[in-house]
Amino acid sequence: MNHPQKSLMRIAALAGLTLRDAVRSRLLISLGAILVIGLIGLPLLISGDNTLTGRLQVILNYTLRFAITMLSIVTLWTACGGVSSEIQDRRLYLVLTKPVHRHELWLGKWLGIVALNALLLTLTGLIIGVMTWHTLLTSPESATAKRQAREQFLLARQALLPESPISRDQALSSAGALVKSGRAPAGMDAVQVATELMKELKNARFVIAPTGTVRFVYHLSTPCTGFHDGILNYKIESSRPERNPIHAIWDIQAAGGMALHLTVTNYPGLPNRLLIPGSVMQGAPSLTLSYHRLDRSSPATLFMAQNGQEPELLIPSGSWAMNLSRGLFMILCRLAFLSALGLTAGCLLSTPVAVFVAFFVMVLLTMSGYVESVATSGAFYTPHEGAALSQTWLDKIILGQFKGLNRVTQPLLRLDPVPLLEEGRRISWLLTAHAVAWLVGLYTAVTALIGILLFNRRELG
Amino acid sequence: MNDEKNMECVIEARGLTKVFRDFWGRPKVRAVNGINLDVRRGEIFGLLGPNGSGKSTTIKMILGLLHPTSGQLSVLGESPRSVSVKTRIGFMPEESYLYKYLTADEILNFYANLYGMSGPHKIERVNALIEQVGLSKARDRRIGEFSKGMARRIGLAQALLNDPDLILLDEPTSGLDPIACREVKDLLLALARQGKTILICSHHLSDMQDICSRVAILLQGEVCATGSVQELLATPDTLKLTLQAPSQTTLTAVLDLLERDTGTRPQVDHTGRTLESVYIEKVSQKKSASS
Repeated sequence: MNHPQKSLMRIAALAGLTLRDAVRSRLLISLGAILVIGLIGLPLLISGDNTLTGRLQVILNYTLRFAITMLSIVTLWTACGGVSSEIQDRRLYLVLTKPVHRHELWLGKWLGIVALNALLLTLTGLIIGVMTWHTLLTSPESATAKRQAREQFLLARQALLPESPISRDQALSSAGALVKSGRAPAGMDAVQVATELMKELKNARFVIAPTGTVRFVYHLSTPCTGFHDGILNYKIESSRPERNPIHAIWDIQAAGGMALHLTVTNYPGLPNRLLIPGSVMQGAPSLTLSYHRLDRSSPATLFMAQNGQEPELLIPSGSWAMNLSRGLFMILCRLAFLSALGLTAGCLLSTPVAVFVAFFVMVLLTMSGYVESVATSGAFYTPHEGAALSQTWLDKIILGQFKGLNRVTQPLLRLDPVPLLEEGRRISWLLTAHAVAWLVGLYTAVTALIGILLFNRRELG
Repeated sequence: MNDEKNMECVIEARGLTKVFRDFWGRPKVRAVNGINLDVRRGEIFGLLGPNGSGKSTTIKMILGLLHPTSGQLSVLGESPRSVSVKTRIGFMPEESYLYKYLTADEILNFYANLYGMSGPHKIERVNALIEQVGLSKARDRRIGEFSKGMARRIGLAQALLNDPDLILLDEPTSGLDPIACREVKDLLLALARQGKTILICSHHLSDMQDICSRVAILLQGEVCATGSVQELLATPDTLKLTLQAPSQTTLTAVLDLLERDTGTRPQVDHTGRTLESVYIEKVSQKKSASS
């Protein structure tokens, strides 16, 4: 047997032992039991927003957040104790008198914890799947509501944005002409003018005057099968404080295919969903959606999507189960990073100190949303209307640290699969690969490198 | 004597020092203070000393768990921190630092995997060692359910898994009954005859006297005496004569002659058996009668 094979054998033996050690730990068995009870109990207790889709979304959000929290605790506890407690009770002394490199020990422990997480996540996925179907099947809602809920929630959807009203080349050519004729603002070059021009044209088409029309063209990258509906997410904002209803007609026209007219009533400030029948989109390369406003007297309205950008068209793109699997895999990548963090802390510190340090870092990572908002807005709180934002020297120092921390935590926020799963958005293989590259390839690798280097220098006396 | 000096040194320490430091890096304890040590191939070397004399620290430095503050230490011609040298070392710690939820069979398989052993060779080796340490009937029992003596036996078995050239044993007979203790001592003597080098740390001085060819006595981190057991035990002006009991007349005549020559009357006593030999004889008789 050659050296790499022996090395793999040692790593596998250590991983197996770590998994076994964790499985028989009373604390972890208790946490596992709480996880299962929570995953089964939460769907039975949650009522949601009185719609079936809303309830399913809340159930998925709560159960996944609960599972992530429990698994993070399990991971950090196992990882911190995996090395430090074995140093404390000296079991590791005997292992390290065998021909085991310390990096092999580290990797073996890490793989064992990742395997434990994979098992618990598989269990989580199965319970979530069963409870979701149970909620759907036992719901007292009508068959139509159930079908709608399945369409909106139990399907992975790809988000498409409308094509730009002007191409980049057209914008550059117009900007060039403006600069040449001296009509462009002073100090701006053609590229800057082209960017501003595209932005202005995009914004201009959001404004719908009374009896006016706006039109969006969506290119369907993969032709739809026609079995499932498409969803358009949009929101109307009024230019006046009154919240009068707005009556309009949606014209849905598939390229070379069917056309459909739907009358809608929208309320400003509330999110809207337009269901586009699958039969309309079937096989079409593009879809044109026109919004004809019927009101004559209401104020001008601003057309925008829920996330403050252009209206998104969500088209069916894969199964919910596969999407959930990819989402759980992204969570596994996050837990793999946490286990590296716990192991590194456990290699250097005693169990209680390692647990404290690792949980502190976990809390910092959990606050990534707040960290991002502080780092981008430059303020720790929103000042009262009209009040000026004042900053002390201490605020400025802490703000600098938040900006630094934001650089570290931003990928974690960006690679959070829960909001995507909750909204039924497709988690692409590319995003999954990003999670592997960032969370395992970079964060875990750097943490592992630091942990192994320091562990190699540590004496066991 | 020349032959002894020419024997290959398996462990060689020169000016070996270990200073433990506090959190701020200030020297706290000088556990080992410039010791010189030569352990030669095929010998059973005893490391003696009271608690806190530096025995365990020395063993940990030999195993590469602690790094010397100064001085030189080579084990089987290599640095003790080298991982490759550990393929030739077996270690049995004082306490049972084993995974208590594993069975005897599982723990030996686990350590065998760490040595990179596999296939029929691993199975044969594990079976042979379980047989050798007398745990065949308990191979599927968890270590946590073992008595102290059984845990020592499985500890010894794991130390011998890789058929090591150098065996380090910390209190190998602690917790063993006299028969098991004799078996372990016989096993160690047999291993030494096969050319294995054995370093033992123990407080059981009678056991050390029984099996060690050379010993070093440590005190406050320094070697205060070293040499062969015979050399250390010998008192040059006193002799012990063992003979078949003669008649009273002959005995008195010999004693008178010796008294005239040395100026003191020699002590005469019957050679008694040790309690250990009586115990082993009686228990063995009882066992064979009941079987």
